[in-house]
Amino acid sequence: MAGVASSSRQRSRIAPYLMILPGLAYLAIFFVVPFISLFRTSLSTMGGSVYLPKLTFAWDFGNYGQAFTLYHEQIVRSLVYALAATVISLLLSYPLAYVIAFKSGRYKNLLLGLVVLPFFVTFLVRTLAWKTIFADDGFFVRLLDTLGLVDGRLLSTPWAVIGGLVYNSMTFMILPLYVSLEKIDPRLIEASKDLYSSAFRAFRKVILPLSLPGVIAGSMLVFIPAVGDFINADYLGSTQTTMIGNVIQKQFLVVKDYPAAAALSFVLMAMILVGVLSYARALGTEDLV
Amino acid sequence: MASNDEFDPQLLAARLGANRTSRRRFLGRGGAAAAALVLGPSFLAACGSKDSGGGGTTATATTADDGAKASGHLRISNWPLYMADGFVAGFQTASGLTVDYKEDFNDNEEWFAKNKEPLSRKQDIGADLVVPTQFMALRLKQLGWLNEISETRVANRKNLRPDLLNDASDPGRKYTAPYMTGMVGLAYNKAATNRPITKIDDLWDPAFKGKVSLLSDTQDGLGMIMSSQGNSPEQPTLETVQKAVDLIKEQKDKGQIRRFTGNDYADDLAAGNIVVAQAYSGDIVQLQADNPDLDFIIPESGGDWFIDTQVIPYTTQNQHAAEAWIDYVYDRPNYAKLVAFTQYVPVLSDMTEELDKIDKKLAANPLINPTDAMKANLKTWPALSDEDTQAFNAAYAAVTGS
Repeated sequence: MAGVASSSRQRSRIAPYLMILPGLAYLAIFFVVPFISLFRTSLSTMGGSVYLPKLTFAWDFGNYGQAFTLYHEQIVRSLVYALAATVISLLLSYPLAYVIAFKSGRYKNLLLGLVVLPFFVTFLVRTLAWKTIFADDGFFVRLLDTLGLVDGRLLSTPWAVIGGLVYNSMTFMILPLYVSLEKIDPRLIEASKDLYSSAFRAFRKVILPLSLPGVIAGSMLVFIPAVGDFINADYLGSTQTTMIGNVIQKQFLVVKDYPAAAALSFVLMAMILVGVLSYARALGTEDLV
Repeated sequence: MASNDEFDPQLLAARLGANRTSRRRFLGRGGAAAAALVLGPSFLAACGSKDSGGGGTTATATTADDGAKASGHLRISNWPLYMADGFVAGFQTASGLTVDYKEDFNDNEEWFAKNKEPLSRKQDIGADLVVPTQFMALRLKQLGWLNEISETRVANRKNLRPDLLNDASDPGRKYTAPYMTGMVGLAYNKAATNRPITKIDDLWDPAFKGKVSLLSDTQDGLGMIMSSQGNSPEQPTLETVQKAVDLIKEQKDKGQIRRFTGNDYADDLAAGNIVVAQAYSGDIVQLQADNPDLDFIIPESGGDWFIDTQVIPYTTQNQHAAEAWIDYVYDRPNYAKLVAFTQYVPVLSDMTEELDKIDKKLAANPLINPTDAMKANLKTWPALSDEDTQAFNAAYAAVTGS
């Protein structure tokens, strides 16, 4: 009897490890190995033939210094754009998620479907569609120009790039927000009203704190890809709105300065990590971090 | 396009993005670039650089020709919208070969970045015939990655224009078989500029602030700028290249230049977002059909030629089929069909008669059949050393990629 019990207990102790094994193996092969390799590259020196260079690992931290000196402007710009995109996305998405969670009644599924619908079209095509909608000679830009809201164009401005980032990532903000809002027990809101709190106070004291996990998750899902994005800057931006993703892409594929590109990738990664951690700490939820 | 009845999402994506207008459009870069960014070259190298040719497939030897007729399957990788409708089918019927025609060649340097690892290990790259621009073809040749193209199996090679056939970069065209040539010049929208554009200085007119695009390709982008500074792209030095880059940087910092583009300037030009662009002649001939306000000129100080060439990588699985293809392309009536579609300058001599059979307007168009005066004003970059190419690329990328 005792033997059977202990062996089944043993099995149940191994089971979780077995379950995470495929995921772990996948991450080890496709994340950890490239990560280490990229890290080594970022500290290597390049030599030998131009087109088939030999990378020699040399603890060359100069790559980092150089990457930062040459491209700090693009790094800062990427952080600013991504931050702006996250804030705008949050401001636009919160009311929307709120309405879907609490006020949409039987249209809830329909509205959720509509939120996901744009993702049925590949995001490259969606981004290119912006070029048509916001063409300089197009109706929309002319209208805004007449109203004095833009100076002759919308494309090739920082706002177009930030707008593209918001547009392409809004679903990732709306869905986590919706999930965390939907989870809130309506009786808690009723209770706060019973205790004479105003609608605003109920929101601030009850709804907002309870939806914070959604805010954090959504912000990260928007911010992290946005910092490294290069498609929006490439198609909607100008030569003045280059982001760090564009620089890295160019360094890897055109200039083929792999150590510089790898160093830039790591600088970016480090900044995202610091940003995300301090953000999560500041909001103080332990649900996620 | 070989298989009209099959649904090919890649082709669809290329077509959607390319919007029918032009060849060598970008597209689909995201995925591959992302993979490259994540994996990094050294990872790929780490995975297998030690076994040289271990997993590789052996190329058909270029030496003794067995005389056998080409048979089997041919895989071609070409630029988007660089092929006439029905052409591949015609070749299949005539040759009895089956062709897998892909429009997946979008950018020389990016293609190279993705394929150099397998090529260096002599592993199949999924194509038996590729169409890089001449500078890239010469790089591949220097690296020893190209097979020689048979003299006897491509008998139609004699139809090549003598200037191309005898070009110093590859005398006799043993390794690089020109596919199309075209002019790199300026395209502009007459209705938007309200005046003719004639010279490089017109690009910097404050009236066109933020409405100018330059080509991001080092040679195509810098060549005419160097010419305008009195330096010829035919003898480039780091100094003359840098001088052109400096001028572009100055204009970029002023906000004059909206974008650095591949072929994707065409949409912006058609939409009016760009009013003056560095452009490829064939693109503009195609665009003019929809927008008669567009014009293409060679700047007073000179423009450039580009030459796209068919090459057979040494990893080819079907050397004879690739040669049969080149021979078929070099047949004048066949080639006329290609030119009628791509609207570029023929690489074969004496094409007027065959072009007239299709449409009288073709040979009469100076962008397809340039005048001697135009030709005299067009320059070609020489074959560059690896170090020079890299140095020039880096110099220009410092402006285009930041």
